[in-house]
Amino acid sequence: MRGVIWYIERDFLRWVRGRVAVFSALVMPAAWLIFVGLALPIRFTDNYLDFITPGILVMTMLSAGLSGGTLLMFDKILGFLNKFLALPAPREDILFGKILFVSLRGLIQSTIILVIAVLIGASVYSPLQYGLTYLILFLFGVLLSAFATTLALYLEDHDSFAAVNTMISMPLFFTSSALMPYNVMPEWLRTLASLNPLSYAIDAIRAVDAGALPLVQIVSLAILGIVVTAISVQVFRRVTV
Amino acid sequence: MNAIETHDLTRYYGARCAVNHLTLSVDREVFALLGPNGSGKTTTVLMLTTMLHPTEGTATVCGHDILRDGEEVRRSLSYVPQDMAVDIKLTGRENALLFARLYGTDTPKDRVDELLAVMQLFDRADDLVKTYSGGMRRRLELVQALVHKPEVLFLDEPTLGLDVAARATIWEHITALKKDGMTIFVTTHYMDEADRFCDRVGIISNGSLLALDAPSSLKARLSNDVITAHIDGTFRDPGVDGITLFSFANNEASFLAENGREALPLLADAFTRAGVRVRSLALREPTLDDVFLHTVGKSEEPAGFDQTKFRTMLRRRK
Ligand SMILES: Nc1ncnc2c1ncn2[C@@H]1O[C@H](COP(=O)(O)OP(=O)(O)OP(=O)(O)O)[C@@H](O)[C@H]1O
Ligand SMILES: [Mg+2]
Repeated sequence: MRGVIWYIERDFLRWVRGRVAVFSALVMPAAWLIFVGLALPIRFTDNYLDFITPGILVMTMLSAGLSGGTLLMFDKILGFLNKFLALPAPREDILFGKILFVSLRGLIQSTIILVIAVLIGASVYSPLQYGLTYLILFLFGVLLSAFATTLALYLEDHDSFAAVNTMISMPLFFTSSALMPYNVMPEWLRTLASLNPLSYAIDAIRAVDAGALPLVQIVSLAILGIVVTAISVQVFRRVTV
Repeated sequence: MNAIETHDLTRYYGARCAVNHLTLSVDREVFALLGPNGSGKTTTVLMLTTMLHPTEGTATVCGHDILRDGEEVRRSLSYVPQDMAVDIKLTGRENALLFARLYGTDTPKDRVDELLAVMQLFDRADDLVKTYSGGMRRRLELVQALVHKPEVLFLDEPTLGLDVAARATIWEHITALKKDGMTIFVTTHYMDEADRFCDRVGIISNGSLLALDAPSSLKARLSNDVITAHIDGTFRDPGVDGITLFSFANNEASFLAENGREALPLLADAFTRAGVRVRSLALREPTLDDVFLHTVGKSEEPAGFDQTKFRTMLRRRK
């Protein structure tokens, strides 16, 4: 397990040295927050910004998690993965390193989005509520980054990874409860949204904001995350080039 | 126990056989696997480093089975892949330190400093690798591979794309490592390097091992003289008894003859009779290049690439 920390350090150094990438990932969610949250003349709820912020936070995590798979994709294309796989260190360390780095990076990005939200008028909550929000986002990040990293291990090249990425992320976002409450959704969308793991995370954060403890969603996200990670560990242990 | 033992090691990609029943053992020496592009060198290395499962056969590295004891195998070896992979956004020291830590080295910082100095990278250790030359990157890869003092070192084309001086430096290091008792398994296209620096070479073509011995023995086995002829215009094998053509490329034909001095005038006459214009004829001792062309050429003849036929075909197209 010691290896995990060194893999994370490596990815972190590479990330902060690639200056553009640090900010580019924030553009989309920030734009959604500002243009949809503030400018769109929709009134599903009395404070739409407060309603949409959890959705945007989860969206930040979604894109951070899925695009986190490109880290492994590039390691593979550039030949680093081969060198890592030939090391005696357990191969799942590579996976855990990616999961933790991608999830933590997602949390950093979510924090920036959260600050922007508060600056443009979203309500401020208690530290405990923020703590729970972060826990939910982290669990969601683990689920996505484990999935994306393992997917990247399987797919041949970056183009197909990017294609699968877009194919998954857009529909997932629009069929979740991110943009509108369940009661204004058409029937078919309501069914889809209630099955969508994105909604688990979004609904959970909304419940936290409302002062409740959404145990069911948190536990479901945790179980999903553990199952996907366990499968990914098996895949990494057996991988050949 | 030999450091590397393979027994009928075989790998298929779909229906294509990349490595065909390879049996060899390598121990405390510099061993080179020579072969043309696509002959299965990388595939062999990948199997021995547990990155690829053989379709058939077995192999052990330091006594550990590559299929059953993958982790033990990886503990005893280091692997430098064919395509250079050092992080250009990290410094040389960071690159090396990462591997020292991943290997669980006791004093990673000291070990890295020591090796950076040995590989003449110490002065530039804190520069980003982006600013390194190809030769420096190769040496950095050697640093990464050596941080944990492996018993067996796999180098897939370690001198690819380097200039003469950089290649010589790499080989100096490899030779020094062997003196310390390390087993070094390299693949290369450079015959002169294999001849000068390797204890034994294996020649592989289409996945099959065709020859396996010390370079000097392989050359002695040819036991013939080599005659090379520079040809102007079209070339045809003049077909003299006892003088066999074994390669033709770039207007240079190479022949084997038992007694070169006597064969020279015969060959010259035959060329004149056949109407082939010869610019020069030279007689020399066989080199590993000749051994290689002779060995590989023979195996490829049945289905292989026919230069003359190809040229006629091209000419007809014009
Ligand atoms: N991933 C793969 N899928 C299918 N075929 C492959 C794959 N990798 C290699 N091959 C085939 O296996 C054969 C051996 O390839 P290999 O890379 O081992 O050759 P090599 O001797 O290392 O060549 P080179 O000198 O060009 O590096 C080739 O015919 C190649 O096309
Ligand atoms: Mg190769």
